[in-house]
Order: sequence, then C-alpha cells, then structure tokens
Amino acid sequence: MPKVGEFELLVLLAILRQTETPFANRVREDLEVNAARKVTRGALYRTLDRLKAKGLVAWEMAESERPERGGHPSRRLSLTREGLEAVRESRDILLSFFHGLEEQIG
Amino acid sequence: MTMRAHPPKLPYALLRRALEDDPSGPAILGDLHESYLQKLEQRGRWAAGAWYSAEALTLAATTFARDTIRTDVRGRRGGRDGRMDRNWSLQSLLHDARYALKAVRRDIGFFVFATLIIGIGVGASTSVYSVMSPLMLAPLPFEEPESLVWIANGDPGDENVSLSWVTHRASKLRDIRQSTQLFEGMAAFNAFFNQSTHALITDGPAEQLMAAEVSDNFLEVLGIEPVVGRNFTPEEGTWGGPEAIILTHGFWMRRFAGDPGIVGTSVRIGDTPREVVGVLPPSFDFSSIFFPSVPVDFLLTFPISDETDQWGNTISIVARLKPGVTIDAAQAEYDELNRAMEEADPNRWGLGGWISPLQRYIAGPFRSALLLLAGAAATVMLIVCVNLSNMLLARSPKRTREIAVRRTMGATRFRLVRQLVLESVLLATGGAVVGVAIAVFTTRLVSNASGVTIPMLNEVGVDGGALGFTLVLALVAGVIVGVVPALQVSEGGEAAAMKSATGASRTGRGAARLREVLVVSEVALACVLLVFGGLFIRSFQEVLDVRLGFTPEDAVAWQLNPSPDFDELTEMTAHFDQMRAAVLSVPGVEAVGTVDALPLGRNRTWGFLVFGREISEDQPRYSLFPHMIDHGYLDVMGIPVLQGRGFTVDDVDGTMQVVLINETGARTIFPNEDPIGQQILAAGNEPWHIVGVVADVKHRSLEGGSGTQVYFPAAQLRAYSTLDFVVRSRLPMASLVGPVSAALAGVDPAMPTDNFWTLESTVDQAVSPRRFTLLLLSSFAGTALLLAALGIYGVLSYSVAERIPEIGIRMALGASGSSVRGQVVGRTLVLALIGIVIGMGVAITASGLVSSMLFGVAPTDPRDDRRDPAGVGVLRPDSRDARRPDGSADGAARLAITVAHRGLSPPSSPGRPLP
Repeated sequence: MPKVGEFELLVLLAILRQTETPFANRVREDLEVNAARKVTRGALYRTLDRLKAKGLVAWEMAESERPERGGHPSRRLSLTREGLEAVRESRDILLSFFHGLEEQIG
Repeated sequence: MTMRAHPPKLPYALLRRALEDDPSGPAILGDLHESYLQKLEQRGRWAAGAWYSAEALTLAATTFARDTIRTDVRGRRGGRDGRMDRNWSLQSLLHDARYALKAVRRDIGFFVFATLIIGIGVGASTSVYSVMSPLMLAPLPFEEPESLVWIANGDPGDENVSLSWVTHRASKLRDIRQSTQLFEGMAAFNAFFNQSTHALITDGPAEQLMAAEVSDNFLEVLGIEPVVGRNFTPEEGTWGGPEAIILTHGFWMRRFAGDPGIVGTSVRIGDTPREVVGVLPPSFDFSSIFFPSVPVDFLLTFPISDETDQWGNTISIVARLKPGVTIDAAQAEYDELNRAMEEADPNRWGLGGWISPLQRYIAGPFRSALLLLAGAAATVMLIVCVNLSNMLLARSPKRTREIAVRRTMGATRFRLVRQLVLESVLLATGGAVVGVAIAVFTTRLVSNASGVTIPMLNEVGVDGGALGFTLVLALVAGVIVGVVPALQVSEGGEAAAMKSATGASRTGRGAARLREVLVVSEVALACVLLVFGGLFIRSFQEVLDVRLGFTPEDAVAWQLNPSPDFDELTEMTAHFDQMRAAVLSVPGVEAVGTVDALPLGRNRTWGFLVFGREISEDQPRYSLFPHMIDHGYLDVMGIPVLQGRGFTVDDVDGTMQVVLINETGARTIFPNEDPIGQQILAAGNEPWHIVGVVADVKHRSLEGGSGTQVYFPAAQLRAYSTLDFVVRSRLPMASLVGPVSAALAGVDPAMPTDNFWTLESTVDQAVSPRRFTLLLLSSFAGTALLLAALGIYGVLSYSVAERIPEIGIRMALGASGSSVRGQVVGRTLVLALIGIVIGMGVAITASGLVSSMLFGVAPTDPRDDRRDPAGVGVLRPDSRDARRPDGSADGAARLAITVAHRGLSPPSSPGRPLP
C-alpha cells in the first residue's frame, strides 16, 4: 500500500468530504477554508497527479455545461479502493499515535 | 454580464501552451476560468486580471519546469521527444531562464557585484556610442543628408590653416552655380559671421546677439522649412535688398516666448529695422552643427554679389548633389569649371577646392579622438568580460556538485552550457540596466557641458539606437563571458563530474592556467589604456605649460559694438577713447586695451607683399593674421615689445601708417634683414611701415605655431565693426563687471555690455576638447586598472583558498609563513609582470594611432620631451610632415609656399572691411 504524506491525506479527505460533485476547485476551497492552509494551484494539481500515479485517486472528464467554465471540461474526482484503504490506514496510524496523549494534549 | 468575460489573453494563451501536453490541461484551464469569474465579481476587472495573470504565469512556469525535468530523464532514456528538439523548445528555454533566476537569487552578492562591473563597461561603451552617434553614426538632421557635401577651398584637414584659406570668394559660388550640371543646389554662409555681433534694440536694455549670415537658398539646399513663416526670398538675398531675418527656435522661445505673431513684424537690429520672416525648426541648430562654439540667435542674408566678392575669401559652401551623382564625379566637374574660369581670367585667384561629404567635414576634427575613445571603451568592455569570465571560473567549483547531479539525471552538456550561459546573459542584462543609468548620467553631463566645443553636442543622449546597442552589447558580452566557464564546468562525463563534486579532484591545472591567462590579458589591456592615458595627461600638461605670449590672469574682456554708425574713423576712435578713459577711472582697473579679435578666438588671414621685393611666381607669397589694436593693448595683455617701439596715441589716421610684426614673422620674412623700417603692402594701396617687433602670441590654438602676426593701429585701419575691450584688474570679476559696465554705458547707453568673459576662460575653452578626451580616457584607464586589480585579487584569493590543505601540510612540515606568502605574492607578481610586458608591447605598437593627438611628448618614450624650438608639436603624422618640407613653425608661410607652387595668387584682402 503506497504511503501518503500529510498534504496528500488532506487532499484525499477533502475529496471525500465534498457533498456535491468533487471538482478540483471545490477541493481547494475546502482546504483553504477548513484546513486553514494556503494551497497554490500548482501544488494541488501536482498532488492530484501524484495521487493518481499512486493509484489512490481517479477522475473522469466531464464536458461542462456551466458557463463559468468558459467551455472547458471539469474533472470529477473520486478515491479508488486503494485510496480509501490508504485513508483508513493513515487514520488508524494517527489514532494509535494520539491514543494515551489526552492528558498532554488536552 | 460577467459570465461572458474572458481572462487576460496572453497569460491564458501561455498557460494553454504550457498545458497542451497535459491530459488534465483543459480542466485546469476551466478551474482557473471559474475562479477568475469569481474574482471578477468580487474585486473588479483589474484585480481579477492581475490575479489571473499571476496565477496563470506561475502555473505555466511550474508546468514548464516539471516537463523539463521529465524531458531530461526521457532524453537520457532516449525518449520519444528526441533530445535536440526538446533542448531547443521554448519550454526548456523558459525553464532554464527561471532556473538562472534562482541561481542569481542564491548568490545575490555575486550578482550585484558582477552587475556593477558589467554596468561600468556597458556604461562607458554606451556613453561613447551616444557621443559618437549624432556626429558620426546617425545621419545629419537634414533631408537626404547623404547627398550634402562641403566644398573647402584649401585642405580642411590642415590644422595650421586659417578660415580665410578654406573659404571661398562669392564670385566663385555665383559662377559655378550658373554652370554646374551635377549640383542640385549650392548655398553658402559667411564663415566670419562671428567677427561681429548685433544689438537688438528694444524698450529695455539692449541685447548683444549673434547672427549667421547665409545665402538666400541656404535653408532650401539643406531641406529645412521654417516652422513659422517662410524662407528668405531671392530678392532678400541681393545686395541692398529688403532686410529680413529668420529667428532660431531657441532665440524665438527665449526672447519672444514662442509667439508666432512676431513673424511679419519688424525688429530693430542696430540701426536697421528688419522684418522677421520666419522661425527655424528646433531640429536645426545652426551653431551646434556648423559653429559649435558660437551660439546663433538669428539668420541674416549674405548676398552672393560683386560687393561681397570684394571682401575676398569669406564664404563656406554647402551643396547638394543631384541624385546618383558621386563625390568623384562632382569633384571632376568642379575642377573642370575652375579650370575654365582660370582660362577665362588668368588673374582670377581663389579657385580650386576639395569636395567631401558634409558629415565627414563636421565630424572631421573629432573623428580620431572619438575613435580613440571608442577603442578605449571597447578595451574596458573587454576587460570587464575577461574579469567576469574569471570570476565565474573561480566560482565554478561551487556549481560542480549541482552540475554533476543534473548530469547524472540525464542533462546533456549542451543543455548545461546553455543553462550557464543563460545565467551570464542574465548578469549582463542586469549590467545593461546599470550601464544605461551610467550612460544617461554621463551623456547629460556631456550635453550640458558649456566648455566643450563638439558639434551637435546637444543631440547627445541615450536614444533608441543607444539602447539597442546596449542590448546587443550586453547579450554578446553575456555569451562571451559565460561560454568559457560553462565549457570548463561541464567538461568530462558524469564520472568526472561526480568525482570532482565529491572533492576527490580539485579543479584541474587547465582551469587554473586558464584563469591565469585571463588575468594576464586583463593586466595587459589595462596597461595599454594606462600608457595612453599617461601620454594624454602629459600632453595636456605640456599644452598647459605652453608659453601663451600673453597673460590671461586678472583680465576680463567685453565685446563691444558701439551703437552709433560712425562715418569717420576719427569719430570712432574718439568714441573708443572716451570709453577707455571712463573705464580707466573705475577704481581697481589697472590697464585697458582694445583689439578686434583676441587670441584663441576668431581668426582670419590676409595676403600681403613686402614692399620693394619683386613679385614673381618663384617668390613666396605671405599671409598674416591681422590685429587691429589700440596703444594700450600690448600693455594690458602683457605682450612685450622686443625691438623698436609699440603704438602711441599719436599713431592715428592721417599720420604715417605703422605696423608691428611678431617675432616669427620677422624671422621668417626678414631672415637676414632688420625688420624695423621695412614696408609691407596689405589692406589698401599705401605701404605700412614696420616700427616694432613684438613677442609671439598663441593665436589660433595652444598647440599650433604663432604664424605671422601683424598689428595695425585701430586708429589707422578700420577693418572691424566690433572690438574686444580688455580690462586688467586684480578685483574679482563679480565686483569688476558692474562698475565697468556702468562706465561703458555712461559713454554709450544704447550699447549692450552683457557679453564679457575672462581671458582665462578663453584659454580654458581652447583646451576643452583635449580635456574632454583626457578625462574620458583617464577615467577609462582608471577603471581598467581597478578591474585588473579585482581580477588579480579574485584569482589570488581563489587559488589560495584552494591550496589551504596543501599550505597547511607545508607549514606543518616546517615551511614558514613568510615563505608561503612569498610564493603566493611571487606568482601574482609574475602574472602582473607578464601582463605589463605584453601591455607595453601592444601600447608601443599601437602608439602610432594616437601620435597625431599628442603634443610635446613621444608615444614610445613617456619621458622624452623633445619639442621643436618654435613650439610646434613634434608628433605630427608622417604624411603631414611630408607635406611640409620646410619644417618651420610658420604654417601660414608654408601654405603660402604651397599655394605659390600651385601657381595661385594669394588673396589680396580676404578680410571683411566695414560695409
């Protein structure tokens, strides 16, 4: 199972969190607003490419009817089975590390 | 409304181009588009556009970078794209540029230092280019300037020739104009217009003005149209025709605040009302082109008539060739027409002449100095390149590891060299910015310099041409500077690179040797400039040490143009005597004297004969520099009487006509006779008796000989319209001017008294072109020395740093500190010495190029102080020496002999008497 870094994990989670169609712009906005991170477009696209190369993320191109896309298509992002597995694994590792630290962290 | 808005086109196109190989590219463009529209609604068009541009360009750059790294790897693996194609792609080039920027940021100190060094070289080169441009490179500011020519009567390249010998008689122009088939138009101006000034009489104080007198078709031949009003008409160009003036643009703005209504009105110049018929365009500055030292306020007509023909050689001719006519063809026709005129009238004199392109004539006197400066600037630039190359070489080991990694990642050598050359081009571009700033500063300084008499100096500035020149220079310099270190760094394969990077092998002997060669060449180049700079400094000192023959200190001169028109010479003399007495009564004034033209100012020559000597073709004809003086002039100028007597108050009109001759004239014209009592025929039909011999005075230039000078009493010969009034006083000029001007105004209230200057400033102006060259050359030489020192320092410090382990071992084994120091310094001295020897060799070989510009010092031996007894510089070009077989100091006499050999008659009275 490929390992994921912190930002990659956040991207995977952000894709999962989208209630509407998970487009890259929504993912980025979510990260900026809710993860309090400044996410450059280049960094996001590179991360998506990397996650795709690892087989954790997939997308399909959809011709967009929305005028604000300027006639350009959208990427409908989704997690692969390996992607979901990687998220679970990361969660488990993190939780096991957090376990027993309640007193210190508060 | 906003939904239809399109993001900025250029960033959009760039991004699309960057993403064209990416399958997700269209979606990314869509993402950005969507965000752009959001920003548009939130922040407005400009902010959204700026945001989009920044975002798109950043994304494009990162995409390029990512693709390039992939290409490196793919190229290494023999990928589909093909190595060479990718090496030349825009993407990879942009990536390299970005990488170069990063490299610069990593070592900002080095970048700043290198930029400054290149800036100095580029600044020097661009400054010299800007000064040369209007004079030698850019076309003259006239219509079809290539067909304009200058016709000189004598050889204009001969510096010992006075204006009277290069100018023509009016009748020659008139006759040639009638017969020529090859000249489209021929025009002229009075070359002696600066001998007199004109007073503009208005309600306020009178103003002394300078007018250039031109033939009525002068502007037409040059192709100049007045901005307001019209050109002179042929009727206005006739003798006694309507009096008209055309104002220069500067004078029109200054005096009449650019009021177009002035055209058509009448202004009073002296006693004559004249109609203002036009205003010259600002692009045509007569004085800047034809007479750089004399500011001209307006144009008057100069009739090409029988009357002006009697004044002798007075006009300079400018002509326009018909389309397709060459200078040689024009010269052949001109010679033929002159021959025909001579056949028709064998007694006619002043025929012949040389035709040259107008631009060459105007630039002529400054050509060699400017070429020398261009050479010096190029040498500085070369030193800059060598220096920087050296610095990059010294810095190269720092880059070795990085280069090694890129090499193992699959980068080709070509790619690495290009990368490093791009970095140096970036440095050079930074240097170009600094250089342009330096050039803007220096050209402003030069164009506003009041003491420098170089034509079209007001045109000097950093224009588009200069910027283009700078850009090309910077790019070429960047490539030259970068290519050697780049080849050096990227030499060998990956194994060599990695070996070098791990420190297993320090930079090879080859690199060290290369750096040393560069240092030697730097020192040699600097040495050449220093030798030339030293020669010019010594020459300048020699010129300043020249015996002037008069005392310029504590003397102020006024140019006076009395307001009344005097019918009789005695009235005029009395008027000047009155002024003289009034000024002498001013407290602090020690002496007063008058002359028609002060030394180092205006000049003219007259032909003359020695009374009693037989006239024949074999006898030499003489020419003299005439001076009309009063009895106080010799005293106020400090010119000693060597033999006989000076003038007295009794030498007036109606008494015996007397003259004084200078030492050189006495020696050359009366070599074995007593000059006192001899008689000469000049200015009129009555002989003039020589009553005294006075010391030589530097009249035309500090460098030239004195020639034959003859002093006439201003009270006996009225061949002037204005007089220079010299006042000697120990008072500072500021406290002297007011009382003297008041005293003059007390005698002649309508006469302008605003034109005054110190004699020291006249001497100063006479050396100004030489000082200009000297200042630039010596600053170039100083810069070169500094750069060479920096180069030596760089190499020395690097080689020592490289040898620290070795030095440590040596010292551990017992070598003393002094022996190590000795070894290091010894190596440096050897390098410097080799450079100096080579530099001296080059300087000696090249010294012939500058010998014509030196004075009183030999190029091959800076300590040699040979000078001929007459004070003429020994270092004339050989060709000139050959042209002057007698070797004497009297240029005018020599010329007279040359004229006699050509079977011509001397001008009878080429000076201009009062109308």
